[in-house]
Amino acid sequence: MPKAIEIENFTYRYPDGTPALSDISLSVEHGQKLALIGPNGAGKSTLLLAMAGFAKGTGKVLVDGFEVNSKNLKKIRTRLGCCLENPDDQLFMPTLFDDVAFGPLNMGLEPEQVKSRVAEALATVGLTKMADKAPHHLSAGQKRAAAIATILAMSPKIITLDEPDGSLDPRNRNNLMTLLRSLPQTLIIATCNMNFAAALADRAVLLDKGRIIADGEAQIIMSDADLMTEHGLELAQRKL
Amino acid sequence: MHHAHIDKFAYQDSAIHRLDSRVKFLVVLFFTAVVISLPRSSLSILACYAIGPFAVLVWAKIPLKFVFKQILLVSPFVIVLALSCPLYDRTPVAVSFGPFSWQSSLGWLRCFVILGKFIVTMLALIGLVSTTRFSDLLAGLQKLGMPRLLIIQLGFLYRYIFVLIDRAHHILQARAGRKLRNLGFRTELRTAASMLGSLFIRSIDTAEHISIAMQARGFDGNWRTLSKLKVRRCDLFFALTAAVFMSGLYFFVKPILQ
Repeated sequence: MPKAIEIENFTYRYPDGTPALSDISLSVEHGQKLALIGPNGAGKSTLLLAMAGFAKGTGKVLVDGFEVNSKNLKKIRTRLGCCLENPDDQLFMPTLFDDVAFGPLNMGLEPEQVKSRVAEALATVGLTKMADKAPHHLSAGQKRAAAIATILAMSPKIITLDEPDGSLDPRNRNNLMTLLRSLPQTLIIATCNMNFAAALADRAVLLDKGRIIADGEAQIIMSDADLMTEHGLELAQRKL
Repeated sequence: MHHAHIDKFAYQDSAIHRLDSRVKFLVVLFFTAVVISLPRSSLSILACYAIGPFAVLVWAKIPLKFVFKQILLVSPFVIVLALSCPLYDRTPVAVSFGPFSWQSSLGWLRCFVILGKFIVTMLALIGLVSTTRFSDLLAGLQKLGMPRLLIIQLGFLYRYIFVLIDRAHHILQARAGRKLRNLGFRTELRTAASMLGSLFIRSIDTAEHISIAMQARGFDGNWRTLSKLKVRRCDLFFALTAAVFMSGLYFFVKPILQ
């Protein structure tokens, strides 16, 4: 069985020539919950974009066995769902229903299948009653959950989330953690919140200055005080 | 931040709210065309026409204070236009209202007719947007044949205008927080240009992210949506009532009042 993600010697530079990712090699098994941790500007978001085929560099990126290239993009988009950092960028349709239906419709599903997928996704994130609401009428927590619903409706095997806990209050953060824990998919979460990462991930990859610094069990990496301090991070206060 | 959305009462529930957006749009379109085509000496007929949208607003439980506020908001341009009429047309004309009659000018008559038509058509328009969700209105317009690209643009505009307003507000707050004295016209102008530039760059950034979000969900250039619109008997009844009301006023009441 192919791995969820396989990256070999991937290097990416921004259009102005600034190196963003250098010689990244990483493989993620199906069902794994991986935390991509690192300070701001470490390259976490760029690595997530590379997995979804939005940052093209040198090296090899495979998603569920398919190499990320223009020929395979459609297959990759149905297997990997990416949730952007700002839910306002993710929710662009006039109503929540239309937003969640956007992906399944593009997959070519029949209207009845689309409706059932939307209903299921909204029920999973607890937003069934908000289906007809406009996204700008949702709270920050609801927007985050809605953004995840837009991905779930496409039934991807892998979900990438960029700073999903950003601007959430503790209650909404806990709700989000409960939701993410309940998902059976492979999760790759980019975050610089160690408590959040510690509560969700079984594996952690520490990125800094575009390079992988450490890769291993979340518990071991996130409890290494010297490593965390050296790379501008903090120890998780939540019990691992 | 909370904004005064034009369709903030569209999420209520009433018989008017439940009507098909296409029917409501077409009725308002015809109503507006009829009102605009009324002759300039028809102030009393205009008052009769106002009954229609007024009844709809009351039935849909739209607060009249909100309605008049919206009319006031968009009125300055029309008021300037209307008030300019008495200046260039001073032809004397005899005006009568019930038992009263007096001398006025054609310009003043035009001024009141313009204002009257503006208020009546605005009542109808506010009735439409206050009882129809913007998304339903867009879906209806698409079904009626409006170009898809325009519908998409309008959808994005409505979705992101508030995000943009919020950003502009935050930039203004940041400036106000650090502006301790008047810096002079040239510096202020330069600051304003930088603020606009910042807003512009952030808008481009947002557009890029939206494009990524769309492509990530399989967007290939073809816009696909599920239509939930359906014309029912009550929609046809509403359209028929509106047609009877408009034609009744046009063919029977207008000749009497003219």
